[in-house]
Amino acid sequence: MIRTEEMKLNFGPHHPSTHGVYRAVFTLEGEYITHCVNHLGYLHRGIEKLAESKTYNQFIPYNGRLDYVSGMMNEAAYVQAVEELMGISDQIPERAQYIRVIMSELQRIASHLVFYASMALDMAGSTPWFYGFRDRDRILDLFEMAAGNRMMPNYMRIGGVAADLNEEFLPTLRKLLDDMPKCIEEYNGILTGNEIFQARTIGVAPLSGEKALNYGMSGPSARASGIDYDLRRDEPYGIYDRFKFNVPVTQNGDTFDRYLVRLLEIEESVRILEQAYRDLSEGPVMAKVPKVIKPPAGEIFYRIEHSKGHFGFHIVSDGSNKPYRLRIYSPCFVNVAPFEEMAVGLHMQDAIATFASLDIILGEIDR
Amino acid sequence: MYGSGLLKGLSITIKHFFEKKITQQYPEERPALPKRFRGSFELIPSKCIVCSLCSNACPNNIISIQSKKDENNKKKLTGYQMMMGSCLYCGFCVEVCPTGALYITQKYENAVFFRQNLNVSLFKDEPEQMLQAVRSEAE
Repeated sequence: MIRTEEMKLNFGPHHPSTHGVYRAVFTLEGEYITHCVNHLGYLHRGIEKLAESKTYNQFIPYNGRLDYVSGMMNEAAYVQAVEELMGISDQIPERAQYIRVIMSELQRIASHLVFYASMALDMAGSTPWFYGFRDRDRILDLFEMAAGNRMMPNYMRIGGVAADLNEEFLPTLRKLLDDMPKCIEEYNGILTGNEIFQARTIGVAPLSGEKALNYGMSGPSARASGIDYDLRRDEPYGIYDRFKFNVPVTQNGDTFDRYLVRLLEIEESVRILEQAYRDLSEGPVMAKVPKVIKPPAGEIFYRIEHSKGHFGFHIVSDGSNKPYRLRIYSPCFVNVAPFEEMAVGLHMQDAIATFASLDIILGEIDR
Repeated sequence: MYGSGLLKGLSITIKHFFEKKITQQYPEERPALPKRFRGSFELIPSKCIVCSLCSNACPNNIISIQSKKDENNKKKLTGYQMMMGSCLYCGFCVEVCPTGALYITQKYENAVFFRQNLNVSLFKDEPEQMLQAVRSEAE
């Protein structure tokens, strides 16, 4: 007598395709998912609470530990939030602003390359992994050259950047920018045009724009569903209003579109980098800021367009040299929420591809 | 044609197959690290003025400094320990050092066998301390 019953399957927290210590409990009917529950918190280190015991400067290195594949952008968001709170954001030297843009866009490319590589790997394609990481490594080499560390750079400072670019940086960047169009062609050639990849992603787990908005999604994952909103263009921060670039938007919101938007964004980031490289001028890289940073009492919410979405800091200051409260608004936390709904009805393998396409980093979700 | 995308991908990988290998054979080949790379810390004790700026700048309070006053009522360094197990390698300590006594080096092979060996003493002038360090390594 054949008897069938539902099965509960723990996906993670140590599964290689969970991008960290994310855990989902799938209820399976055969190979199909009928119910999914997200479990978070395995990587919780209490960074928000730690910030309350650190001075404003001492918290900068902790930003690299949030979203650990885009450390530079986390730092840029934090220092710009503190500058805004202190009211000195208009005193930041021109060169420092350009360096921040260069670093942010390099980091965006690096983050999207990790996405490209790991998404291919989750679908059992190991070749694209090496191509993505080959070029990401060149970007990390640039960070190492300028900042000292590859993934936890600790390069941004309140009032500018830690040190000027060294001599070899700009020629190496130039070489990278020259090679980038050919590399993007390679990524597309290997994965985007691949029929097997297309068959497994096109039309899988579509998310409508309305639903994406209801969940509060942002960044490339929302733009794949037709939400045409990019903080760099619509609420420019820093000096982003000086650059000309397009915001790639696709309409279907399926796994393939979420993938495609990110690859198109790499191209736009290269465009921004070309302009920043052209306009970069000589000058100081640090504004005159006091040694002990004591912002006036008050609060601020400041957000930037991170590689994953809107990444923000809510800082409450009581006038002392340490933040009274610091909250991190994490795009990945928001973007992982619809997965519960998207996974229902999917094949087990498609769920992994869909999960990869959301591009989440657990360091930022659990903080 | 169905399958042309697959063939295109294969042609790209075959082209790379005949290129020079870029893998570094690590223990034999060492990377040339840039000057700013933060591998480990070193101290020139004669330059240190015991101002404690480094230990105050440290986010995790991993630096402990011992000193005594000499006949001119001037502070003299007698000990300098770093708990490298809690180090963030942010480099704030080096950044604030007013005399350049503390500096970064590109030595990156910091693995040790025992947890206690992570507590590194950067002040190695006194022979007794040297002996102790050697003993703990031998254990």
